[in-house]
Amino acid sequence: MVFALLKESIVFAWGALIANKLRTFLSLLGITIGIFAIITVFTIVDSLERNIRGSVQSLGDNVVFVMKWPWTFGPDYPWWKYINRPVPVYSELAEVQRKAKGVEAIGFRIAARKTLKHLNNTVENGIVSGWSYGYGQVKAFDISEGRYFREDEAEGGYNVVILGNALAEGLFPNNEYAIGKTIKVAGRNCKIIGLFKKEGESMLGNSMDNQAVVPYNFARLFLDVKSENSDPFIAAKAKPGVTNAQLKDELTGIMRSVRGLKPIADDNFALNETNLLSKNFDGLFDIVGIAGAIIGGFSILVGGFGIANIMFVSVRERTNLIGIQKSLGAKNYFILAQFLFEAVFLSLMGGVIGLLFIYGLTFLADGAIDMEITLTRSNIILGLTISVLIGIISGFIPAYGASQLDPVEAIRTN
Amino acid sequence: MAQVVRPKIISVISVTAIILILLAFPMLFMPSIKHMGDFVPMILGIVITLQFVSVIGVWHMKRWGVQLFIIMFTIRVITFMFLEMYNFRFYFNIFYSLLFIPVFLFHYRKMDTNL
Repeated sequence: MVFALLKESIVFAWGALIANKLRTFLSLLGITIGIFAIITVFTIVDSLERNIRGSVQSLGDNVVFVMKWPWTFGPDYPWWKYINRPVPVYSELAEVQRKAKGVEAIGFRIAARKTLKHLNNTVENGIVSGWSYGYGQVKAFDISEGRYFREDEAEGGYNVVILGNALAEGLFPNNEYAIGKTIKVAGRNCKIIGLFKKEGESMLGNSMDNQAVVPYNFARLFLDVKSENSDPFIAAKAKPGVTNAQLKDELTGIMRSVRGLKPIADDNFALNETNLLSKNFDGLFDIVGIAGAIIGGFSILVGGFGIANIMFVSVRERTNLIGIQKSLGAKNYFILAQFLFEAVFLSLMGGVIGLLFIYGLTFLADGAIDMEITLTRSNIILGLTISVLIGIISGFIPAYGASQLDPVEAIRTN
Repeated sequence: MAQVVRPKIISVISVTAIILILLAFPMLFMPSIKHMGDFVPMILGIVITLQFVSVIGVWHMKRWGVQLFIIMFTIRVITFMFLEMYNFRFYFNIFYSLLFIPVFLFHYRKMDTNL
């Protein structure tokens, strides 16, 4: 019985929407724009967040980086304390490796932008990274072809290189088999022994696609190992069961002893971990999300007012009809449901159109930028939920007003 | 059917409650709420919307409005407790609801029993 009435009220509502196509279109436009604005912002923020989290995770969750500069941001960043610190050097790696008990793997890395060349193909400003052998066990990466360098190649400073996808495409544009070929890295001959799997663009700029990895002992021949520009650091991965805090305590003691710091002296190095980056980005994304919510919220508010306005007009136009329905025995809740469904339909259609626009936009963005932008399930649910709820909120007052009309007075209305 | 006259205090409370409830609506878009789960904004949204509907009922001096307001207040408190959202909004919601409910109950007998 109830379902039959509901079905009938849905049919009535649908009929009213079809009868006034232009009005329906104009009133749902507000919600379309609102949902489009708010869910677009959330989709972009979610995609950026996913990309950055992926980049941060590739650095390792349980890894502590010994560096010159700490990874903290903010207005009170005391840069003058850090500027005169020395950069980590390779000789410190061996000391730390020897003394640290909570370390599963440890490595050293330097990097700088250099030119890579193969025959007539040149890639300018490719990132050439010099890795100690152990860094390969700290950093997460995938090799699609070939292999990682052996320990003897790393120690002996062999001129071998593992190329990132973008660099390989630049140096071998015709999809030639690159493994075993010799290229020039910063003017020195280097044999390709491996290719990294394509990773795509990284917001942190640490994608392996643009990197050429060579053994540290080879890289130090052409990179300035004591320069800050080479961004040298030691990365230590904690053993299972050792927390980052425990590892940091141990590394602090070892680094202070390696650098011969007096007990009263401040640390002249920074111990960074990836969750510091994550925390900083969490705050940033929350701010962007809130800003998006405010902008979208106002758009939806305007859309909601539009629907409420149209519903009031709709009730006014059909007052006579409501009177006839009520005099024929229609219950209050039937009239209420009829107008409420109309408002929810309008709003939901607006929301769905907005979501379809975003879906189309993600396809366009996929082709335009090298970053995956996806309309997630949670954003679809949010968009549809907001549409339905706005429909109820903006349609309830006119619908309830219609349901309370006196049938005799309603029939008399012109 | 005689229209029940709405006391001024109910008018003031209803308008205040509608404003407070509508101001709570943007909470659904907050990243912190989104991170709690895919369906959390939906649940909170339904609670807020039904609270809005209940206040419209109170405005029209309907008993179902008061009943729905009390039910939704209880559900909202339980939902917030379940989600461990012991923030300003949680306490503020309890504060104003506990101020409004006695006034609604005081005028409950005068209210209409119909929809």
